[in-house]
Amino acid sequence: MITAGIDIGSRAAKAIILKDGAIIASTICDTGPESVKTAYATIDSAMEGTGLALDDIDYIVATGYGRVLVPFARENVSEISCHALGINWYYPSVRTVLDMGGQDCKAISVDAEGRVTNFVMNDKCAGGTGRFLEMIADVLGTTLGEIGDLALQSRQEIPFNTICAVFAKTEAIAYLRQGISRSDILAGLNEAIAIRCLNLLKKVSIEKDFTITGGIAKNKGMVSKISEKVGLEPLLAEDPQLIGALGAALFAQRKYAGKESVKEARIQYGYNDGTGDYFITIDLEKCDGCGECVSACPASIFEVVHEDSRQSKARVAEEARKRLSILCPGYDLCHRTHDNNCQVACQKGAISLSW
Amino acid sequence: MQTLGIDIGSLNIKAVVLDEEGPIGTSIMPLGDEVGDSVHAALEKATTEAGLSLDSLPVVATGVGAKTISFVPQQKSITTCLARGIQYLFPSARMAIDMGAESTTVIKLNERGRLTDWANHDKCASGTGLFLQQMAKLMGLPLDEMARLSLQARARADITNTCAVFAESEVISHVHRDPPTPKEDIIAGIYYSVVSRIMSMCKRVGITREVAVTGGAALNDGLVNILEQELGFEVLKPASPQIVAALGAAIVARENSEKGTKK
Repeated sequence: MITAGIDIGSRAAKAIILKDGAIIASTICDTGPESVKTAYATIDSAMEGTGLALDDIDYIVATGYGRVLVPFARENVSEISCHALGINWYYPSVRTVLDMGGQDCKAISVDAEGRVTNFVMNDKCAGGTGRFLEMIADVLGTTLGEIGDLALQSRQEIPFNTICAVFAKTEAIAYLRQGISRSDILAGLNEAIAIRCLNLLKKVSIEKDFTITGGIAKNKGMVSKISEKVGLEPLLAEDPQLIGALGAALFAQRKYAGKESVKEARIQYGYNDGTGDYFITIDLEKCDGCGECVSACPASIFEVVHEDSRQSKARVAEEARKRLSILCPGYDLCHRTHDNNCQVACQKGAISLSW
Repeated sequence: MQTLGIDIGSLNIKAVVLDEEGPIGTSIMPLGDEVGDSVHAALEKATTEAGLSLDSLPVVATGVGAKTISFVPQQKSITTCLARGIQYLFPSARMAIDMGAESTTVIKLNERGRLTDWANHDKCASGTGLFLQQMAKLMGLPLDEMARLSLQARARADITNTCAVFAESEVISHVHRDPPTPKEDIIAGIYYSVVSRIMSMCKRVGITREVAVTGGAALNDGLVNILEQELGFEVLKPASPQIVAALGAAIVARENSEKGTKK
């Protein structure tokens, strides 16, 4: 059985090919402006030297931000589920995953079977993402590949009070002008980012073992800061950036064998933006997809979707996720003016708000 | 009696000399690398304009940079200074929205002009003047040209991201769309994104008329226009919105001196 997983991220596209449960090929490419082209280029690059053609692969699952635009994939699975399953293959003991990608950061709780039991994502703020580090590397006149080691040389880190990409960039330029070393600036930024990651992890509960996935997990300076803050040494996979693609390839194996896919248990939608925490949690074990919340919410932020062969579930509409604090005034304020709202309407008590 | 107020922002330094008649000297100076030098230059300019010398005047400093200067012993929070300044200019105002370069502040006042509630946002560039500047750079247009164009918008382009970095990609995709989204509509979309951020802060403290706008971004007609559309009524606009907090600081300096002489 030959299966493949392809993970089209915001900055990099990854693919892994599995043959009877072993990795036979993998690749990491840049994500281009055209998703479909990127998808073909990535799978071609993975197949190079294996003698395989696209038709030889029995089942392909796509994941990541660009997963819907992979024409040759039989199915697509959320990257959260893929990271959970992927890391479970490497380290079944891992219970907490921090995925640091090009444009978002996620904290995921995983059970012994590689199922997601809790999940929280910050995809609304560029602070601390790969994109942010790219900007900073650029300002400091170095590359993404070098900033990890550079930060480790720091003797006295510079405190940053915000990791807003725009503000931090201005601050970094000002520090450079004052003659402060690049490593001290980087170490200060890493510290600020690590604190934010810790706060995100606390939302899903931090349990041993812990791992970091995604491109930033290759940044030694960042990894050392995060393990210092979290207080746990992460179990790092051979290439943490490939975990999403690996998970997708494992899902492909299961699908090909006709097994039922694993489900997420609780999902938290939202973010923290310096003014506070804005998270909406939906307990998928309780949610029966009745849709009462959809009509009850005065800001219409909910929708009910039917994914794969699963039961319908409520979720926060994609376009509302990055503007939650603007669209929704929070439970108390909403309740003052509206008798009916999401929490009141939900008979199963599956919805809760953090503000 | 003459007093001096100084507001050290993240981009500009504002100074106001006040006497019984009102402001008699003002200055707005960009913040240089040496904060102390820029502050001196701003004070110098305002006092010269007023025909006074700096030594004799009671001074109060405010703004994010107030702590960085040691030669002004008296300091007051930006929210209090804004409240005093707004009360002086518009006694009917019950709310003020200060749109600065790196922060947005919403304050609420009671009938006596005293501060009752406030919300501040300074950890992220969304909804700030810097966000607008970044977008102007991206669109390749000066700020005032953007404001002018936005008034001709027929629709607001959808900018769903509040993060300045992610919103930038959205703007780029609007520009490169086939056919491209009209410039005016993109700008209106950008302004709406800033306004929705400000509106969520206003709602948190509760919207009460009249509402005044202050800070550098209050000079932007396009932005204020969209803010008025969202509020559903017109706002009060000071002739020089940038110096309101400095004016408030000068008022605080006067109050402090009067308290001193009473004793």
